[in-house]
Amino acid sequence: MILTGIFTLYLLATAVYFWHALRPKAGIRRAAFALFLAAFTLQTIYLLIRWETAGYLPVTNLFSTQLFFSWALALCYLYFELRYRLHATGLFVVFLTLLLLGSALPRDTAIPPLIPALNTPLFTFHIIFSFTGYAFFAMAFSVALLYLLQKRLETPILPDLALLRKLNEEAIFLGFCLFTLCMVMGSIWAQVAWGYYFSWNIKSVWSSIVWLFYGGMCHAKFIRRWQGTGYAWLTIAGFAVVLFTYLGIGLLMQSNHPLE
Amino acid sequence: MLQRIWNLCCSLKLAIVLTSIATIIAIGGSLVMHFHPNLFGGLDALSLSAWHTGYGSKSLSLTAWFYLTGFLLALLGLNTGCCFIDWLFKIRVRWRKTGEYLIHLGFVLIIIAYFWGSFAGTRSEGNRFNIGETKPITALPGHYLRLDDFETVLNESGRPVDMKSSLSLLKGDQVVKSVQVHSNTPLIYDSLTVVPASYGEETVGYDVMLTALNRPAKIAASSHIELKEQTTLTIQKFYADATRIGNRVVRRNANSINPAILVQVSQAKVNIWSGWIFLREPLPLFLQQKGFNFVVKRPINRVYSVLTLNTDPGMRLALTGSICLTIGVIFTLFSFYYKRQRGDRPDIC
Repeated sequence: MILTGIFTLYLLATAVYFWHALRPKAGIRRAAFALFLAAFTLQTIYLLIRWETAGYLPVTNLFSTQLFFSWALALCYLYFELRYRLHATGLFVVFLTLLLLGSALPRDTAIPPLIPALNTPLFTFHIIFSFTGYAFFAMAFSVALLYLLQKRLETPILPDLALLRKLNEEAIFLGFCLFTLCMVMGSIWAQVAWGYYFSWNIKSVWSSIVWLFYGGMCHAKFIRRWQGTGYAWLTIAGFAVVLFTYLGIGLLMQSNHPLE
Repeated sequence: MLQRIWNLCCSLKLAIVLTSIATIIAIGGSLVMHFHPNLFGGLDALSLSAWHTGYGSKSLSLTAWFYLTGFLLALLGLNTGCCFIDWLFKIRVRWRKTGEYLIHLGFVLIIIAYFWGSFAGTRSEGNRFNIGETKPITALPGHYLRLDDFETVLNESGRPVDMKSSLSLLKGDQVVKSVQVHSNTPLIYDSLTVVPASYGEETVGYDVMLTALNRPAKIAASSHIELKEQTTLTIQKFYADATRIGNRVVRRNANSINPAILVQVSQAKVNIWSGWIFLREPLPLFLQQKGFNFVVKRPINRVYSVLTLNTDPGMRLALTGSICLTIGVIFTLFSFYYKRQRGDRPDIC
């Protein structure tokens, strides 16, 4: 019931943001943001209730991870909205939130009992940093797409190229920082749980690829040739790597990572 | 000339080139890894040096990417290390980049630690310990591990969810560490990490009823059974599942399938017979006449713990690297917003 309410509010927010993208008006923008804020608040409360009920951050099955990832995406959008007044620029991220939540709706919402291997704060932090990192990479992807679009269309509907570039760099930087913390927590957890801090399972290998890729991107922004368009394309490629790490491995391959 | 070499070693562009090539090779290699589990499946169970000897060096066409990625990461580590040293020389004017360079240092330390641990460390899985048993730790000479106690944690449906092994680590005959090892709680000492892997149960004997003598007895290693006419049957060995290979009797596994006992029979303290008896076969006639006829009441089972014993001399260095990364990230976040507030733009190459 609450979940359907959250989904409906996000859906309305997306529709109103879309309307605002076509006919930019302050009233429409405020309405869209109010709807989004209501959805996010309700989702935060729902997540906190589940956390309180379970006694641990429930992110141990697909429903829970989708719920948490969609919340992290919404949080990421909220950050950029409050900081840069993005409005409809973040439409993609809001749409992604909606998509994740929508695909989670038909799944079983029951909280599974926590297995002792996952009963550690290291796991909680690993998950929080991982999904918030992914959320910022998704945000960067969205901004990179808009950058390429704006470069082609030069439309007043979208922010100027300098701001989009700045947003892209910031999202990549924040995502990289959070993902670094995710890797640190995951490594320490692996050491205490399995006796080694790096496992050669496919998920860990791809997580390292994600880290290496975005680490390279944090350097590439200092190279003039890679700024702007090049950086936008790199962001898009990076998000493909993220998507494969989060979804592709689980769907196409087998991994002995504890969350696969 | 030296300055040019140093500049190349510290080059940002070199870092990007190395990162890009390593990423592309690792992406392709991960697919090779996925489709050849016979080659790469044991990577977590072996140290890299053992894997190289046993697998890596034997299929170079499939493992070359692995060595190449390792080489590129080593170069990247070197490049990052040079950047860090270069920054140290300019710290008075570039102190605001402390966070970024702590991340660099963290990465270098982790790379060094991983290579060190991979070649000087050991991995050992499937170490079986019975309660009270002490075994030497091969990778840590002079050290022994003793299992003092073991218990399983069951969930509501009776399924085991955790294993608690009370362990004592001994240096010579001196206990240096005692820990109850369970999920996320390893025994860590020096370069050694001991974690629980699994557990099992084995039949070590039977409680029986001697039908002719009408009294209970225990068929297990080291037990003595008093029979008729001052005859004593001493059980020297008990195998839950045994088989004959020529004249020898060998143990097969821990499940009670074909149990056998090695006995010594003495009368008035004089040995009169010794040999193997398979309990599912008819018992020797002279023993039956002495009253050795029985029905099994219940098996005597013993639980054992299976532990993973890994050594990694680079473990603490890797932890130091992780701390550097974490502090570096926090500093970088602060400096990023500080610089943004001041309107600073990054240096452009």
